[in-house]
Amino acid sequence: MDCVDCKSLITAFMDSDLDSERSEFVRMHLANCDDCARVCEEIAMLLDVISTEGEGVLPENHSKQIWCRINNVIESEQKPLLDGSQPEPHRRGLWHFSFWQLAAALACIALVSSLITVAALRNYYEPSATDSLASATSHTFMDRLMIRVGLAESPEEQIERKLRDRQAAIDYWNTRVQARRTQWDSQTRAAFDRNLREIDDSLNEYHTILQRDPEDDLTVEMMDSVLNEKVDLLRDFSDL
Amino acid sequence: MNLVQHSRLARTTVAIVGVVFFLCIGTLSVAAQKRFTRTYPAGSSVRLKLLNRTGTVTVEGWDRAEVRLEATLESPAANIAPQSLSGEIVVNLVRDNEGRGDVGEVNFAIRVPFYTLVDIETKIGNVSVSNISSGLVRAHISSEGDIQLLNIGASNVAAENVMGNIFFDGELQDGGIYRFSSVKGDIALRIPFNSSFRVVATAPSTRDIAFYQCASPDLSLLGDGRRMVGKCGAGSASLSVTNQRGAIKFFRR
Repeated sequence: MDCVDCKSLITAFMDSDLDSERSEFVRMHLANCDDCARVCEEIAMLLDVISTEGEGVLPENHSKQIWCRINNVIESEQKPLLDGSQPEPHRRGLWHFSFWQLAAALACIALVSSLITVAALRNYYEPSATDSLASATSHTFMDRLMIRVGLAESPEEQIERKLRDRQAAIDYWNTRVQARRTQWDSQTRAAFDRNLREIDDSLNEYHTILQRDPEDDLTVEMMDSVLNEKVDLLRDFSDL
Repeated sequence: MNLVQHSRLARTTVAIVGVVFFLCIGTLSVAAQKRFTRTYPAGSSVRLKLLNRTGTVTVEGWDRAEVRLEATLESPAANIAPQSLSGEIVVNLVRDNEGRGDVGEVNFAIRVPFYTLVDIETKIGNVSVSNISSGLVRAHISSEGDIQLLNIGASNVAAENVMGNIFFDGELQDGGIYRFSSVKGDIALRIPFNSSFRVVATAPSTRDIAFYQCASPDLSLLGDGRRMVGKCGAGSASLSVTNQRGAIKFFRR
């Protein structure tokens, strides 16, 4: 009896399912073969563990299933030996890359994910209408890059959007003022109109400057300040 | 009666009629006004908060521990109901006259302890605050009116209007914050010679920012002369001045 025969019979041997002749053969082989003896010991230990730890947990026919699995494992290990061939070297598969390829790929992934994260954060923490417009024109290299690739707004777009947002507040307070102003005396009406006109003149002036130079931070800041003045004026007069 | 006597009589008559007319007008005008006076005792900490609609507000500090509030109410007279709660005196004419479209001017003359925190808001009209040395002096005019802050020693000062001049004459406290803002009108600040402050002064339309005797080598012009930034002395106080369509001037006291 050789090792292959022995190992195929070893489980049956341990379950005392072999006839006396084959059982004797196995016993003799185990006495002479260290490898098979070790396999036998390991299986015995496994069985011991299963019988003590899994007591009451495992189903009745579970030991058979385990044996089947152990057999399968043993057979799969034996197959290459039976074929007499050496273990196959790892094939150079489709997903196997060199170090530099992997490094380049990782760098690309890091760059793209950083860009996406920055863009997402910028969109998520978008400044509200009350935030300064001045931030619209301050650009780092990253900002410019993002504008180029279309992940961020250009200064003109930012200013326009923020002006639209601010315009919503102005429209709201203006509606309230219009509803109230019929009750005001003529002096109050005149004073309100005069001041609003002054503010609008300033706004027009800044608009003109920004059309020439959209990146003029100071003008953007001043426009922001005048817009605040306008909102304040409308709000203050809306409760008269 | 000759011609000369006749002429004299006619002139005398015209003069008498004129005097009577102006007296009547004056009497009617006085009759159209109402006066409101109230005095409140003040503790060691007092705050005055006044929200006016239209009219002049004058607040003056004195060394008595009481607040004296005088108001002249033009016709149609506004409702006025000051409240005094735990050291805070609140006069809110906007709330007291809500829903009333036509309300006459209310001119205030208020005397407060010099250590009072003063917070004044009005829609239209001049505001004058003087002789105050406390933590706060704030004057906010929603539209037009001049602001005068005289002999002020507060650590937090704010003066804002749309149209009108702003004049500040006072000391800048270490660590104090001072903000002056107008759309159209001149802003003039008169400060002691040894004042120490950081400043951002912006006058984008006129580019008229003059430091005169307050000039310091640490001040520099930015944005084609539209903004002056820098510091005087150690720069412990913080000063922000914005005048959209007017001039900014600094003077030494």
